[in-house]
Amino acid sequence: MRPPARASRSRSAAAAAGALLALAALFAAARPAAAATLVVSVQTPDGHALPGAVVTVRPLEGSPRHAAPVHVVMDQVNRSFAPDLLVIPVGSTVEFPNSDSVSHQIYSFSSAKRFQLPLYRGKPYPPVHFDQPGVITLGCNIHDEMLAYLLVTDAPWYGRTSEGGSWSAEVPHGHYRVELWHPRLRDNEVDLRRELTVADADRAELTLRLSRPPQPAPLTDRPHSWDY
Amino acid sequence: MERRLYRLALRLILLAVAGASRATDWELSLDTRLVTSDAYPSFMDGGLGAVRFGSDDSGLRLGRARLAVTQPLGELFSAHLDASVFDDKDRSALGVTEAYLFFRPYPRAGYRFRLKAGGFYPPVSLENRSAGWESPYTLSYSAIDSWLAVEVRTIGLEGQLEWLGTRTGHAFDLGVTGGVFGWNDRAGVMVASNGFVLTDRQTPLFGRLGQPGVKPLNGAEPFMEIDHRAGAYAGLEARYLDRAVLRVLRYDNRADPTQADTVSHVLAWETRFTSAGLRVEADHGWTAIVQWLGGDTTIAPQSMTLNWPFQAQFALLSKRFGRNTLSARYDRFAVQTNAPEFYGAQDGHAWTAAYLFDLDAHWRFALECVRVVSSSVNREEQGGPPLATETQWQLAIRYALGSAIR
Repeated sequence: MRPPARASRSRSAAAAAGALLALAALFAAARPAAAATLVVSVQTPDGHALPGAVVTVRPLEGSPRHAAPVHVVMDQVNRSFAPDLLVIPVGSTVEFPNSDSVSHQIYSFSSAKRFQLPLYRGKPYPPVHFDQPGVITLGCNIHDEMLAYLLVTDAPWYGRTSEGGSWSAEVPHGHYRVELWHPRLRDNEVDLRRELTVADADRAELTLRLSRPPQPAPLTDRPHSWDY
Repeated sequence: MERRLYRLALRLILLAVAGASRATDWELSLDTRLVTSDAYPSFMDGGLGAVRFGSDDSGLRLGRARLAVTQPLGELFSAHLDASVFDDKDRSALGVTEAYLFFRPYPRAGYRFRLKAGGFYPPVSLENRSAGWESPYTLSYSAIDSWLAVEVRTIGLEGQLEWLGTRTGHAFDLGVTGGVFGWNDRAGVMVASNGFVLTDRQTPLFGRLGQPGVKPLNGAEPFMEIDHRAGAYAGLEARYLDRAVLRVLRYDNRADPTQADTVSHVLAWETRFTSAGLRVEADHGWTAIVQWLGGDTTIAPQSMTLNWPFQAQFALLSKRFGRNTLSARYDRFAVQTNAPEFYGAQDGHAWTAAYLFDLDAHWRFALECVRVVSSSVNREEQGGPPLATETQWQLAIRYALGSAIR
């Protein structure tokens, strides 16, 4: 009864191959074999690193992907938002507690999300849900100098440049659009957008040099009691 | 049943008071001065001194004792009250320098509207930006702001509309302001009778200038309505990020200079001025302010028309490092006139140097020297020199506490 035995061997070989394939597929799903580290560096016109710039990366082909929503906190301390810029995926929620002893009254008139949190101290309101992509400018209707930004993005990869002016992410080989945003940038949107192909290497680098110097940073050392 | 109702009412009142006190922002401060001065007596003492404290005031003085309260009324309204004791020479020791209702709806589509009703300062000063309309740079205000402190106040309505460019991706904000007011028909008495001074004494809303029976001010009340005609002002403001502010204002109290008060027979003074100023702030605590104000004041008793054109300007440079602030200011001011014997004509300049040290949120120490050189026709008439140099030194200690001072 050899043939059946042979048949049995070939069946077990097929099963082993199938298991291997399944493992490979699993592995591929966890970390694509054809992936690379994308490093985006941002420089001012005079070649200095620009920290804090928001980088978003979207694939130009394949099915659209989104990052998972998150829940984050933007506090109010010493009549300032802390932090004063957050990047969040579409569908995320943000809590706005007030840790000051004075009341604040938070508002946004940005089209991506209009909302108001009437006069409050502490944490009386539920988190705010952000379901549209866009830039949201936040202010306090009592303290006009308070200013913060939320960038709600539908990009699967996003982040902010480090002190050294760079940001990196693991992305599969493919064709991408990289966009840059910062509240103080003066370059127009087209100049802050690049397309690039990540292929045949385990590292892809993109350096974006601004054509115009960013606006000066807000003055931070002014006493809070001043009327601006 | 009645007793129950009383108890319920009492409980409701207690609840309301407790609720209000939680939301109320308040501030209390005491500013004392050690003064040495060789100046002529101040206008409150009936003199023509160009600074707040005359030589007779040398010694320990009260700079200002202040209580300020801000009470939110619902979501979009608030009431503000600023009361102070400056010294004991006014009609009452405690006076209200500003009291107003403030309406601030949420900004919409990039525009912000604000409305004030009550008694407050018109938007001229770029220097007096601290609580209580004080300067964070010096103790004594510039000649321009001293004049506003002494006899200019909006008692009426002010609306402000701003385009918030910086909130919509631009580098600029732009604003327009308009005000309608009464009870300022006596603005101009001080500038025509005493000329410009450098002080930090703010006339309360029911206050007076000088002492009754003592010329030239004779206890004049600056905040009076005489001709029942409203005054008005209009202004523009442009801001570059949080770094620069440009402010222009045209003010006209539209007083009828031929009118006199039916009870006291004092005249209405028609006062008009234009002011323009620029404040620039840079990194490392630098601030520079330049401001100009020019206008005139007129009375027309018995078919005579007496007119006093006036101009004042200053430049201020300040550097903040840590808890220290060093500032220097140069003021120029002049009053001309067509009055007989040039009554009220004045010409002068002043240097102010100040060092402020904020120990913490509660304690502030300051040392300031003001030196004014001026010629004054009125002083000469009183037997003084035509040209005089007055110097005032102040060492100040201020203690503040309040709901937001930690």
